[in-house]
Amino acid sequence: MATVSLKSINKWFDTSQVLNDISLDIEDKEFVVFVGPSGCGKTTLLRIVAGLEEATTGEIEIDGIEVSSAHPIERGISMVFQSYALYPHLTVFENIAFPLRVAKMPKTELEEQVMRAAETLQLTDRLQHKPGQLSGGQRQRVAIGRSIVRQPKVFLFDEPLSNLDAALRGEMRVELAKLHKSLDATMIYVTHDQVEAMTLADRIVVISEGRLEQFGTPMELYHRPKTKFVAGFIGNPKMNFLKVPCLSSNSSGVTLKLPDIGEQLLPVEADTVEEGGNLEVGIRPEDFSLSDTDKGMPMKVEVVEHLGGSTMVYGSVADHLNFCALLPGDTEVSDDSVVKLEVNPASMHVFNSNGDAMRRREIPAMHR
Amino acid sequence: MNSNKADYNTTWQKFVRSHAIYAWLLIVPAALFLFIIVGWPLAETVRLSFTNAGLGGEKYIGWDNFEKLYNSRKYPGIVGRTFYWMFLSVSLKMILGTIGALLLNAKLKGRAAFRVMVMPPWIVPMAIGCIGWLWVYNGHFGILAGVLMHLGILDGPFEFLAYKTSAFYSTIVTDVWVGTPMVTIFFLAAMQGVSQDLYEAAYVDGASRWYRFRRITIPQIMPVIVSMALLSAIWTFNSFEIIWILTEGGPRGATTTMIIDTYKMAIANYKFGYGATRALMVVLFLTVFSLIYLFILGKVHQRFKVK
Repeated sequence: MATVSLKSINKWFDTSQVLNDISLDIEDKEFVVFVGPSGCGKTTLLRIVAGLEEATTGEIEIDGIEVSSAHPIERGISMVFQSYALYPHLTVFENIAFPLRVAKMPKTELEEQVMRAAETLQLTDRLQHKPGQLSGGQRQRVAIGRSIVRQPKVFLFDEPLSNLDAALRGEMRVELAKLHKSLDATMIYVTHDQVEAMTLADRIVVISEGRLEQFGTPMELYHRPKTKFVAGFIGNPKMNFLKVPCLSSNSSGVTLKLPDIGEQLLPVEADTVEEGGNLEVGIRPEDFSLSDTDKGMPMKVEVVEHLGGSTMVYGSVADHLNFCALLPGDTEVSDDSVVKLEVNPASMHVFNSNGDAMRRREIPAMHR
Repeated sequence: MNSNKADYNTTWQKFVRSHAIYAWLLIVPAALFLFIIVGWPLAETVRLSFTNAGLGGEKYIGWDNFEKLYNSRKYPGIVGRTFYWMFLSVSLKMILGTIGALLLNAKLKGRAAFRVMVMPPWIVPMAIGCIGWLWVYNGHFGILAGVLMHLGILDGPFEFLAYKTSAFYSTIVTDVWVGTPMVTIFFLAAMQGVSQDLYEAAYVDGASRWYRFRRITIPQIMPVIVSMALLSAIWTFNSFEIIWILTEGGPRGATTTMIIDTYKMAIANYKFGYGATRALMVVLFLTVFSLIYLFILGKVHQRFKVK
């Protein structure tokens, strides 16, 4: 159906820059998720793609055609809003039919289209209801119905699940994934929830403070985050960071001094590192395991959460607070004890003082 | 002494609190107030309408006043004129109010200033505003006649309030001038309450400005439009000061609405009894309006249910 490409998009609101030189190419039928903390500019970027805002500088192409100042209709997009933006005075039928009425579609064809959308979204028995009489999930589906009847080239979703409760959100997530498969369309989806991003996306765009941090598949982002921000944002529970001194670096990696473990060679591409300086090591909670021997990082346990299948242990390592380790469910750890944690050196991430990651030489097999 | 007082209080409080009389006691002040300013005058009006009360005393005359009113050749004309006057005035207020609200809702620099600027007709005491309009309508010194003469539309001084037709429409213009700001502000408030997302969603779907106005703005503010229209109808029906200051119901009765007519009969001609009968007719019409208002409002809220 359609490719979307953004070329050096900049956006200023008065004197503050909310988007800084964003360029990316979205492929046909791809599901791309813009993710980032609130206020990072992801929704503004989506609205620029939609044509609700204009970029201060930069160009947008849809299907190779420059559309930077075109009307949303000419761009062939449709949008689902965070608030759903359903018309409260119209029935579900009329809400879904709205874009078709605007386009003055003949009555029989219009009814057919609306019915088809209603069937896809299981709304056929709700067509004569007003939005006020529907549950949150149903309203969500009506909003999606309204966006699919027009058969746009690109679907835009602005945090569509954020008003739903957790259980429903999970359900709708699966439905959206199915919808993407059945519609076979290009979709751009904005969320602040990295779980939604990881589960739905073909590729994820991580944005922070108006900058594109990284654009890649969920697994790329997870295994090879380019910056400390991406590393901390993607993955749940969050990655732990440790500031440690760098002892030496050479072609096989950097040698760092880890608490209690001592000298440790981490296999990363470290040509640019200066010796003697501090580096940051990132360790995902799931990469920890309990040491059988006396060796390992000592963690002073503060809270233990037994989740059944796994156990989350929170505590401090050296003088770093809020460390988290995800251990097997049968782990027996008591509060206020000290445990020794082991990590495979290859699964550690290293960041320089700018927050940029050093590329890891290998991605170790997950041990769970 | 102290303990006695406490005992007294407890027994008294116990008695009062345990009975519905407590609730009644609480509403007595308000009820008394309402009785004095509404209940008693209304009852008095009803009583008077069955008498020939005037300067020389009063006597019960049964339904005579009503019969006289029913047979009056002038009265149907007055009722008709009242409704026509009200219809024109309210329609204009609604249309101008909608246009005004739309303009004031536009994203303009300094729109707060514009919003303040629509208020004066509403804020200025009505009598002062009307005296201003007397000057506007003045044939020799008034701005209206002056401008029209300069434009060559009039070839001489024209007293707008001296001729039947022009006086009738002049009073409507002034009434609209006084009544529009409030309608505008109410409509504006309602328009601001419409979620911006709805407009954006419609825009993305290709709806034109006019289409968005027709299918989003109007239905969304419909409950306010209906209540304003009906309330405005009641107020306009009862509008007294504007006509009285401008024309006193003249010339030759051209601007005499029911309320003016009632005043003229009861106060100016000292026919209190017959005037009271006419006042009762006003009450009757307004009661019907109010019932219609409540009925329609219920319907509208059902139909345009907002969430």
